[in-house]
Amino acid sequence: MSVSKTRRSAVTAIAAATGLALAPKAALAQSSGEEIVIGGSIPMTGVFAFAGIGIHAGIQDCVKIVNDSGGVAGRKLRFVPEDTGYKVDASVAAFKKITSQEKVNFYYGDSTAFSKTINPELERMGSILMAGASFATEINDPKKYPLQFLVGPDYTEMFGILLRYIAQQKPGAKVAFVYSDTEFGRDPIDESRETAKKLGLAVSAEIMTPPGSVDVSAEVIKLRRAAPDYTIFHGYVLAPIPEFIGQARQMGMKSHFMGTFWTMDHSMVMKMGEAAEGFMGVMPFRYYYDTEGNAPMLEKIRQLRPEYQSTAYLQGFLTTMLFAEAARRTIEAGKPMTGENLKAALNSIRDFDTGGIVGVPISITGNSIPVGRIYRADVKQQKMLPASDWIVLD
Amino acid sequence: MNFDWLFLFEISLAGLGTGALYALTGLAFVTIYKATRVVNLAIGEMLMIGAYVFFAFAAGLALPVWLSIVAAIVAGGVLGALVERTMIRPMLGESPISVFMVTVGLGSILVGLVELIWTADPRRLPEFLPNDPIFLGEAYVSPKVFYGFCVAALLIAAMLLVFRFWRGGVALRATASDQAAAYSMGIDVPRVFSLSWIVAGMIAAIAGIVVGAIGGISSTMGIFGLTVLVVVIFGGLDSIAGALVGGLFIGLVEAWAGAYLGGEYKVLAVFVLLVLILMVRPYGLFGTHEIERL
Amino acid sequence: MRIGLARPDYAADEALIDSPTQWAWVGLLFAALAAFPFVANEYWLYLACLVGIHVVSATGLNILTGYTGLVSLGQAAFMGMGAYTVAVLQARWGTPPLLNLVAAGVVAMTGGLVVGIPSLRVKGLYLAIATIAASFIAHFVFANWNAVTGGTAGLTVAPASFLGVTLDTSFRIYWLIVPLTVAMVVGAANLFRTRIGRAFIAIRDRDISAEVLGIPLLRYKLLSFAVSSFYAGVAGGLWAYFFRVVTPESFPLILSIFYLAAIIVGGMGTILGAILGAAFMAMVPELLKLVVDWLPLGANATLVLSPVRTIVFGALIVGFLIFEPNGLAEIWRRIRRFFHLYPFRT
Repeated sequence: MSVSKTRRSAVTAIAAATGLALAPKAALAQSSGEEIVIGGSIPMTGVFAFAGIGIHAGIQDCVKIVNDSGGVAGRKLRFVPEDTGYKVDASVAAFKKITSQEKVNFYYGDSTAFSKTINPELERMGSILMAGASFATEINDPKKYPLQFLVGPDYTEMFGILLRYIAQQKPGAKVAFVYSDTEFGRDPIDESRETAKKLGLAVSAEIMTPPGSVDVSAEVIKLRRAAPDYTIFHGYVLAPIPEFIGQARQMGMKSHFMGTFWTMDHSMVMKMGEAAEGFMGVMPFRYYYDTEGNAPMLEKIRQLRPEYQSTAYLQGFLTTMLFAEAARRTIEAGKPMTGENLKAALNSIRDFDTGGIVGVPISITGNSIPVGRIYRADVKQQKMLPASDWIVLD
Repeated sequence: MNFDWLFLFEISLAGLGTGALYALTGLAFVTIYKATRVVNLAIGEMLMIGAYVFFAFAAGLALPVWLSIVAAIVAGGVLGALVERTMIRPMLGESPISVFMVTVGLGSILVGLVELIWTADPRRLPEFLPNDPIFLGEAYVSPKVFYGFCVAALLIAAMLLVFRFWRGGVALRATASDQAAAYSMGIDVPRVFSLSWIVAGMIAAIAGIVVGAIGGISSTMGIFGLTVLVVVIFGGLDSIAGALVGGLFIGLVEAWAGAYLGGEYKVLAVFVLLVLILMVRPYGLFGTHEIERL
Repeated sequence: MRIGLARPDYAADEALIDSPTQWAWVGLLFAALAAFPFVANEYWLYLACLVGIHVVSATGLNILTGYTGLVSLGQAAFMGMGAYTVAVLQARWGTPPLLNLVAAGVVAMTGGLVVGIPSLRVKGLYLAIATIAASFIAHFVFANWNAVTGGTAGLTVAPASFLGVTLDTSFRIYWLIVPLTVAMVVGAANLFRTRIGRAFIAIRDRDISAEVLGIPLLRYKLLSFAVSSFYAGVAGGLWAYFFRVVTPESFPLILSIFYLAAIIVGGMGTILGAILGAAFMAMVPELLKLVVDWLPLGANATLVLSPVRTIVFGALIVGFLIFEPNGLAEIWRRIRRFFHLYPFRT
């Protein structure tokens, strides 16, 4: 499956932003002293800290790059984060604090629970467009969540990409779902069962592990009975995947193992040690060190940050790029920056070049960006290597 | 329907493996309760500290594994002594509820300390247990679980002997049954208190290393302690044999519930069992019935 | 300096507010509560509403644990029952909010009665552990009874609508939460002027003696559970209206521990203790944020905040239990005594 690539480099995109930033200084009689504020409930401590720190750095860097090129239509971006420790009440408190002190245009939320909790308030205020670390299927609903969007495919779409890949590689294969007993884990399971059926795959096991369980031997034994060709893990950050894989291999299971976005960070996968060999998963973005293909923005990031940046960093970076783009389109159309207008501007994005962060130009017709590529871990090279083309779901 | 006996056997083995770890942690718990009558809800967190200290020495300082284990055990003992001196001793004579809440606070402090020093990222311990798969006949047992079981069994046996024959063990039992009599026999009761907490801390550290080796370490490891609570209630708060039997039984029940009903039923099964035992035999299988006098 | 108060009859002796100066202070308090929403910004209003909910729940727990001596770690589970009741009633039948809140209280009360039944068989720590079990069983029901509770995704709650006004801002819902909080706190204070309240206290002090004196233990213990969980249910219902999302993760065991910590820090067995404790524990994270911002730690400050919060939480519990077992209420009393007795010392 291939998608035609249009030729527009990211430098052109930034140059365009710069050009348009300079031009309206004369055209628009507005004061360019007004700032565009991006608020954030960022989980810089707590269980999601590795992601939070990455997201924080990613947003900061993108803001810097955009501001250095003259900002968005002459206005500077400003990032106002607060740490939440991945707790919903702290997130909500941070939201209330930041929105009471600043005039916020964009907001980055740290969890699915927060996005759901704050949605009514968001709609009432009507002035903010929100994205976040969540890829929950429920939020991919423009009617229920009109002022929010996901920076990537939702979990069901991720499963969809994985299942399509499996169906390509081995038609009629047996698949097992191993997921955690949390909302995060349960999110895509029901719909993915249907998707698997439609693609002619047999779901031979659905194993749910309680959060905080120490020993997964019993579950691995169950998995062996199911003898799947592919096992998809979801709802975990690291544990208990290495245990599962290690024990499964010892038992002589021949399954391939796959994961979804939050398990695919290079450092997390490599922490699995030997068990990481051949671990696959779906990634909507390239990795920091990807040199395959044309990726000028990744080059820029590599210059800015010589050490490895996580997938969370890229997600935060891309979110800010999209925020900036939505703001730019709204300002150029001469419309006021309300949540509704910003969302409409976002939804007008077609074939947008992300400078190589996503391998193909993206279009945001709804609340998600259903694009991804399968990557496979190569322990010898200590790298995640691409294992498929970019798959775009319709 | 052709019942899969092998499956049941394998699941039961896995359950016994986890059960042995519950029994070991229960042992630490019972040691504290027997001597000082304190219900230590922070036992899971003390386990966590042992695992993290091992991690710090083995992965952080790259010391050899045996040295790191010793260091972790010593750290566990020191933690026990410290906690007893600063938090439990001042609460002597207060209502058991207050002391219980002190241990809850302690748990929170330990979690915060771990997050402060090592962040809340989940981590894996360096591999030090042999990794060849173990097959009992046709049944597979995870090597880590198997070795964990062996360690737990050895330790429990050792503790039973210690309590029977060593002077310190006898002093512990004496203090547990009647403090005043122990005093009058010349037993240094405050020292016995410290000793019990030190021993418990050390056992918790060992259990922590094994649990960490199996499932990785994180700042939420302490939740292990809640299931151990069920184990000791089941077996009797002051009975070592009870901790053993209770641990194995709860481990089995958990494994069966997880295998035949589904992962979400594990926690439910364990806590329903708790409610049942509280209704039928509140003092546990082997616990001593407390007679309240006015 | 106050030398003494002459109380001419039993009613005066039992009165909650016993002097004109106290009436003046109370009047000032109510005036401040009424004026607060007009001067505070969104953030402080949000905090005020949150404190109100916490106060209601802590007062309920205080009735059970502080006054009756039955330690419970299930308060969050009862709040959850109340919250889900409100969410379901609002979504399915659109009944008025006050009715929903009463229903929430009643449903939680039934839960409390069920959990309280073991209280005759087991006491003290065993009962506390039984309530932990109840907490987990409730969590299981919330997460798996998909038809009613929406499973792990939870339920969203439309804003309460009172006399035609939709309560969708903190400013508006303040007028629902705060008067209700005041009413329930006054109710609790009055409870302990009655025979029932005194029976609770007797049970706490020595339940066998209480039974000898003719107080039917099971009936009063169950009553205590019922009243306490009614409070929790109402607090949970307010929570549902305030946050407008109810998920199984909203009411974890750690929240029950939070309320227990709140009444310990505030002072078990006093009405003021519940209020002070709940307000204090709710404000500590915000205070910490201010302190950490102020310290010259630079970028590391935010990384340190969350673990420090956890440590401070634990340290507060331990510290108050060791050094000030009667809590903030005792500190408050000492300050009052100082002013009453000035220029004398004791």
